[in-house]
Amino acid sequence: MPSSCPNRRSLLRALGLGAVGWGAGGGFLPGSGWGPFAAAHADGLRARHKACILLWMQGGPSQFETFSPLPEHPNGGGTAAIATAVPGIRFAEHWPEAAAVADRLAVIRSMTSKEGSHPRATHLLHTGYLPIPGVRHPTLGSIVASQLATVATVATVATGATSDCGADLPPVVRIGARGRADSGAGILGMAWEPFEIRDPDQPPANTTALVPAARHERRLDLAARLEGGFADRLPQEAADHRALRERASRLIHSPAMEAFDLDGETDAARALYGEGDFASGCLLARRLVERGVSFVEVVCDGWDTHADNADQTARLAGRVDRPFAALVRDLGDRGLLDDTLLIWMGEFGRTPQVNPRGGRDHFPRSFNAVLGGGGVRGGRVVGATDSRGVDILERPVTVPDLFSTFCHALGIDPSVETVAPSGRPVRLVDGGEPVRELFG
Amino acid sequence: MRVSVAGSGLSACGGLVTAGILLLLLLGFAPAPRGHGAEPPEAGSLTASPEPAPPAADDLFLRRIHLDLAGRQPTFAETEAFRADPSPGKRAAEVDRLLAAPAWSQTWARYFRDVILFRRTDPRAAFMQAPLETFLTARLAADASWGTIARDLITATGAPGEQGETAIIIAQMGETADIAAEVSRIFLGIQLQCAQCHDHFTDRWKRGQFHELAAFFPRIAIRPTAGQGPDRFEVVSFDVQPRALRGRKPPDNPRRGDLEHEMPDRDDPSLPGTVMAPRFFLTGQSLPLGTPDLERRHAIAAWITSPDNPWFARAIVNRLWAELVGEGFYPAIDDLGPDRIPQEPERLADLAAGFAAHDSDLRWLFRAICTSPEYGRGSRSRSSPARAGFAANCPQRLRADQLFTQLLDTLGVDEARAAQAAARRRGAAGPVPAPAQELMARFRLGSPRNLFGQVFGYDPSLPREEIVGSIPQTLVFMNGPQVAAALDGHRPGTLLGRLLRTESDDAAVTEALYYRALARAPSADELATCLTHVNSAGDRAEGFEDVFWALINSVEFLHRP
Repeated sequence: MPSSCPNRRSLLRALGLGAVGWGAGGGFLPGSGWGPFAAAHADGLRARHKACILLWMQGGPSQFETFSPLPEHPNGGGTAAIATAVPGIRFAEHWPEAAAVADRLAVIRSMTSKEGSHPRATHLLHTGYLPIPGVRHPTLGSIVASQLATVATVATVATGATSDCGADLPPVVRIGARGRADSGAGILGMAWEPFEIRDPDQPPANTTALVPAARHERRLDLAARLEGGFADRLPQEAADHRALRERASRLIHSPAMEAFDLDGETDAARALYGEGDFASGCLLARRLVERGVSFVEVVCDGWDTHADNADQTARLAGRVDRPFAALVRDLGDRGLLDDTLLIWMGEFGRTPQVNPRGGRDHFPRSFNAVLGGGGVRGGRVVGATDSRGVDILERPVTVPDLFSTFCHALGIDPSVETVAPSGRPVRLVDGGEPVRELFG
Repeated sequence: MRVSVAGSGLSACGGLVTAGILLLLLLGFAPAPRGHGAEPPEAGSLTASPEPAPPAADDLFLRRIHLDLAGRQPTFAETEAFRADPSPGKRAAEVDRLLAAPAWSQTWARYFRDVILFRRTDPRAAFMQAPLETFLTARLAADASWGTIARDLITATGAPGEQGETAIIIAQMGETADIAAEVSRIFLGIQLQCAQCHDHFTDRWKRGQFHELAAFFPRIAIRPTAGQGPDRFEVVSFDVQPRALRGRKPPDNPRRGDLEHEMPDRDDPSLPGTVMAPRFFLTGQSLPLGTPDLERRHAIAAWITSPDNPWFARAIVNRLWAELVGEGFYPAIDDLGPDRIPQEPERLADLAAGFAAHDSDLRWLFRAICTSPEYGRGSRSRSSPARAGFAANCPQRLRADQLFTQLLDTLGVDEARAAQAAARRRGAAGPVPAPAQELMARFRLGSPRNLFGQVFGYDPSLPREEIVGSIPQTLVFMNGPQVAAALDGHRPGTLLGRLLRTESDDAAVTEALYYRALARAPSADELATCLTHVNSAGDRAEGFEDVFWALINSVEFLHRP
């Protein structure tokens, strides 16, 4: 927790805000907000607080132009391989920065699935399930945040920690998805809905205060007093709505919102991450995780390279490589890497054969993903394909295996069940086994 | 970039809008369901009959019926006139008047649009909103029966951008099993998708019966065309296997269609499945393998919509009763199931029989429900234990379109002008290529209503107690720059600015704001609270801005009573 973050209650007092609608206990209604999460930000828990950052490569990144190069085979598309910090492990030429931190990254080169359509595969790699009409599977971020909060709340009660500077921040943040995200909290409920940031260099929508805090407080007070008659008829809805007004008000007026302001970063930090939306998103992800947010997804769109694959992937890697490596270094320098699982992946891979337009098409049969931090042993490669990059020869990893691995790294029980509206129990992860070679 | 929806001169997502990412606009915040534990009790198990609520007062009834049938609140003049009307049949007359107006068609077209598109498995299918709404509005305005609309949707072919009736197919990306599950859910109130993989836990339908239903739809194909954006596809029949593909397993591409539907091998999906012949599980009616696509789809459409099929009537009666009275005959809106016991089964049977006898006339059904004593009762929370037997009408959270219209009406903002302002703002944020502009205009993408729907929309088939608000929604109302600008009492052009200039009596201003926001007069207590606030605020305009703000941020504003 940064030392500049004062005790929230004393700060609110300094701002002249009364107890109404701002008390620490305000709006802690189960299922209606972020209440349970508040406890997860305690200082005393910082070292033990797990978090996860997902770098999502929308469109399906080519394995050959990323972390599974095949320079010796025509299917490699002419992309050269470069040495990394780990002898024997090579990355595609466009990833020099990631190569330099390869000792802290583990590459899975044997991911496999059957789903080759973007929306369905995006849903699969975000939830662990194929879409079924009427069943709203929760997205990874909501799973992680809801499960980590439960753990942390128990721990907080045990330690008696009380500081809650980050309690005003949403537990799940998604950056740069631009409305394309197809999965949310689903059956886990509103408390775990991802908070969408379209542009990491701007404050979140509608959170810049338009009236002074004191006047806002008077408005909330007036609204509460006028609500009487109708609220008697709809007590639950009125209570929920009051809690929402309080929580949304914190997003407008809380000092914790400085987390979203990248101007608070030094030039050195900005330089470490580099230029561009994705770099800003990664820097913001680090700020949020540092302040207790459980899950941040940063999206880089454009990997659907049906044409000009070589040029397109080089350009995209140029946007992702430096911020990706910067996150590894920065989280490491701040002592956060061991507790923060870092994931790089997309919805599927690309065809080994380059098509007549110089592109690669959808290929779920074998693709790759990269993990770092969160107890994952770096400097490793799991699985392999044949020399043509087509079939998996060793250690196939399915999507449920991958999700079980995430759960293992974060200390989450994948067999926890949530009951869907139909009455049907839905497991967090549908079977699968963690990839144990990545740990220990 | 800021995404601020609602209010005057509503802004769009400025720099976001370029041709390449046009469609990405469409999926916004997911609806926010409440977490839940145990299922609600089976309706039939609630036997205690609570004391029925007395009939709703005139003002409350009028606000309810206007929001339900016209999608907007009554004006002050309409409320006054209705209150003054002494005739005993005025409520039924108001129902007839509203059912005859164009607003009814548009309101319910938007409702059924959401029923279909909230279950899309492809986010990109959001572009179907405008074509589907156009199709449904025209159908409802032309007095098409529910049977006709169902047949249109089940047998659709053509370009999605022009043929809104292709929406169910586009929303499910042409996936055979998903189309079958949606047709069953929407038109029969029977959910079979679990039987896709295993015999149903609770119902009697078997896995094979689901795949026999799916066998009516395997030949639906979505073919790429030369167009751009939503015009890139068309829905066609796949009745001839191309020579090149004969004799080998075609690639797994749902868009391409299959001649016959195969039920996958449960233990090893990579093995060839069992070829299924089309057969309707409710009646046993069937078709031979080899039947062409449209023949299959016309047959199943006729069998589903037949007056002899009680499920077709039961499903829509339960759905609309639940929407209008606030509580359905069955606990779920679209999951009636063969072995579940409805509450008030005779009432349901009467309505379903009447609906079938009237050739599935939707206006007949709306009239029957909206003139019933149950509909006209006073309102009471659904969370109250005394809910069985339709003892009261339960307040319903407004759907996004109702709420958006009400917000604009309350603030005195014209939707067309707001849309123009949004378009100007987009233009100012960066040049938008002409083809993108045309597509956006045609599909109403990025319009203030569309953006509002992204934040406030919810699946109308979900149990209503699962729908709760969200932080982004609350921020739009509490702290959206456009709402704030429209609330500004110092600006002469706003509703409040005009009111403050022309009306010096604070009580009269308060009353006007109450009618604007809530279609009713303030109570004596409310009036006193508001006047005290205005007097203590120091600045009259600021005081009334706070009052107006409190009213549109109330839970009452968000609900139809």
